[in-house]
Amino acid sequence: KAAGEGSKAGLSDSLNPEKSLTMKKAILTTSDSGHCTAEEAFASEDESEESSSLSTEGEDSENEEVTRKKIPESSQVVSGQKLGLENLINETSDVEDLLREEESYKEENKFPTETSGALKWKEDLSRKAAEAFLRQQQATPNLRKLIYGTVTEDNE
Amino acid sequence: MATQAHSLSYAGCNFLRQRLVLSTLSGRPVKIRKIRARDDNPGLRDFEASFIRLLDKITNGSRIEINQTGTTLYYQPGLLYGGSVEHDCSVLRSIGYYLESLLCLAPFMKHPLRIVLRGVTNDQTDPSVDVLKATALPLLKQFGIDGESFELKIVRRGMPPGGGGEVFFSCPVRKVLKPIQLTDPGKIKRIRGMAYSVRVSPQMANRIVDSARSILNKFIPDIYIYTDHMKGVNSGKSPGFGLSLVAETTNGTFLSAELASNPPGQGTAVLPEDLGRNCARLLLEEIYRGGCVDSTNQSLALLLMTLGQQDVSKVLLGPLSPYTIEFLRHLKSFFQIMFKIETRPCGEELKGGDKVLMTCVGIGFSNLSKTLK
Repeated sequence: KAAGEGSKAGLSDSLNPEKSLTMKKAILTTSDSGHCTAEEAFASEDESEESSSLSTEGEDSENEEVTRKKIPESSQVVSGQKLGLENLINETSDVEDLLREEESYKEENKFPTETSGALKWKEDLSRKAAEAFLRQQQATPNLRKLIYGTVTEDNE
Repeated sequence: MATQAHSLSYAGCNFLRQRLVLSTLSGRPVKIRKIRARDDNPGLRDFEASFIRLLDKITNGSRIEINQTGTTLYYQPGLLYGGSVEHDCSVLRSIGYYLESLLCLAPFMKHPLRIVLRGVTNDQTDPSVDVLKATALPLLKQFGIDGESFELKIVRRGMPPGGGGEVFFSCPVRKVLKPIQLTDPGKIKRIRGMAYSVRVSPQMANRIVDSARSILNKFIPDIYIYTDHMKGVNSGKSPGFGLSLVAETTNGTFLSAELASNPPGQGTAVLPEDLGRNCARLLLEEIYRGGCVDSTNQSLALLLMTLGQQDVSKVLLGPLSPYTIEFLRHLKSFFQIMFKIETRPCGEELKGGDKVLMTCVGIGFSNLSKTLK
């Protein structure tokens, strides 16, 4: 049983970075100030992947940053901005990971394995709600857009 | 209405009535090009020309220019005048084709409209006068258009291809329309119908009633289908029969379905039993689609919501018909009104197809041509 749980925990851990990655992507897309190019977006994606894989080893990630600084950039301003952004993301992701770990830890403590089946629906309620919302959004066609065309996208 | 706005231009013969009606109400001229330009028989058809003549009769000061081939139409609307009018409609389309547009325009006349329309009362393409009488008039009443003079009467019935029917329509004028809040259609409480037959055996109508009841009796006990057999000069020039059914809900919504027999010489002969059964099924389909306004009157309801006072109007509709969708686009280009459209999936309570909740704020249209008394 313990082994099973361990594997489960491993699974959830392996799932988490992916989630954080997508979240970071979302953050990036929302926080772009208008002069974010495709190139930049790609770079930051790479960065986030690396950071997630190397989050356990702090020294390596530092080295990475150093080497990154050495890479010649086309414009200093852009790289500066990017670095600031990266640092911010790293911090937030670390905090999020910590929070997540704490949550999962608490849940395991609260609901012992005997009653976990009965209270399974309570797990990840917010995630389920988010998924249901997205599913609903994708399933129902946006009639306004179908009728009035692309004009509404500009307005909204 | 008399303001000179820049004209809108369209291409193609589709939605001619919508464009001309909205042009008249908004006061914006329209130019329609390429009307059946690539057709073997190009230009406006007889029934469209008849419709334009009707518009000319009920307005004052309209300017209509049609080119030699009839492929280009320029329409500069005048003021809606109304009064007593007579019009001979083309027999290619039924009176419903003309009446649908008159229902949109009649509340905004200078003088109450009293019009006699002659032609085909029931055919297979347009909503018949029976259905409009049973569904569109109660809808207009919701908007505050009511009174003793508000009536639609079938004097004579006429079936295609000969026609020979006659209809009298009179409508009071209103300065402003009331906003509506129709979000709960309620449950079906009764079904009424009209089985008509002209220049065929009166037994046809009874056979239609029996077959339609055989399906509807399973669902609700309160069904009454009238039979209407017109004789002599009131029966028009061509034989035919048909059925129109209307389901009324507890909240005053009317949902309708209808079928008419094939005109003589076109297609195979229709058995009255089949017609009755199929019409009953069409009514069930319409009830499944549901909403507070049935699918023939969706655009009328949306137009009157747009032209209402500056207040929020809401209406729950069944699936939008293609005609309604195009009408919404036209409303946007003529009145700059965009509806809020929310889909309401059929849940536990709302049975039937998906519903759409349409919300808008009226533009505060007021009938400037109405004289103060």
